[in-house]
Amino acid sequence: MRTEIAHSTIWIVILGMALLNYAVRFPPLAIVSRIDLPKPIARWLSFVPIAVMGALVASEVLRPGGSWGNPLTGPSLYAAIVTALVFRYTKSFLGATVAGMASFVVLQHALPLVVR
Amino acid sequence: MASMHSSPDPIHAQAHAEAPAAAIALRGSALARFRRGVGLGFPIFLGYMPVGMAFGILARGLGFTVFEACVCSATALAGAGQFIALSFLAAGAGATGVLIATTVVNLRYVLFASTLSTYVRDASTPVHAALAFSLTDETFAINVADHRQGLATPASMAGVGGVAWVGWVLGTLIGAVGAGWIGDPSRFGVGFAMPAMFTALFLALAEDWRHVVIGAVSGAILLALPLLGAVGVRLESSWYLVIASMAAATVGAVVWRED
Repeated sequence: MRTEIAHSTIWIVILGMALLNYAVRFPPLAIVSRIDLPKPIARWLSFVPIAVMGALVASEVLRPGGSWGNPLTGPSLYAAIVTALVFRYTKSFLGATVAGMASFVVLQHALPLVVR
Repeated sequence: MASMHSSPDPIHAQAHAEAPAAAIALRGSALARFRRGVGLGFPIFLGYMPVGMAFGILARGLGFTVFEACVCSATALAGAGQFIALSFLAAGAGATGVLIATTVVNLRYVLFASTLSTYVRDASTPVHAALAFSLTDETFAINVADHRQGLATPASMAGVGGVAWVGWVLGTLIGAVGAGWIGDPSRFGVGFAMPAMFTALFLALAEDWRHVVIGAVSGAILLALPLLGAVGVRLESSWYLVIASMAAATVGAVVWRED
């Protein structure tokens, strides 16, 4: 009933992913560290991390699983607020992540009772 | 090992260097700095374990052996990329399609690696190679936050990357071996481990209100991109993240030309 994939395909994917993942990470690190970036580009790069995190949070929290839905009826948005508050007051990544996961589980079960 | 603090980054160097934790970070041995990095990366370890388990379970369900699942995690170290690979494989895609999709999703690491490279100018090529290997969203964000305190060194970054790698591979191993009796991993809230980490990391990276605005703009662009379909522009969803981040960073760089 489940799809079994040929092991030859699996190994091509494993080796290809390893090579390609390294190919997008290593050359920029090795090359860009040797050159002096013009200031505007350096500033642009300094904004990239926060932009990526903003996009990741938006897609994971507001569009979980890649599908649209009302974020007010699912657990993700509320669990993210719990996570943010815990991080805001404890500065602990661990505490915030655990609190987020725990509140997500609770909300998964509790929300259907409240929201219809 | 060369300390990057011989040439502090003028944009990000801050005056926190006198803080007590700075003693180990700046004057400790390479081993002490590595161990400090392991401590910094420990939350990543705990976050990766359950998600790695989920990957192991799903991979076994698709016909991966325990060995194949572990090699995949150990060599790729690409959370989202690996899950996308599984979903493409499950949908019957060939190896080429899988590799194109995962590479597009991983294009953001070109940006991350370029940013990181400005922190480790003095480091040797083997150090660059190790940092590139352990570069993920989470290790990157932790290292950026640490760097902004003026505390990150190549040794501490290696510690962060090392403990993250162990968590990811160990989680995969446990998930792949225990696939039969662990069952559906989602009941432990695993589905929210990554979103929770991203949320905390976003707050950690947000230095000031400019950053909050740029992050919000990026999120808004990402959510709006699928609407292009309505005007006939078809875009693979794997591009959304890269396009939204680059566009938002550009908006930031144009709006705030001066520091």
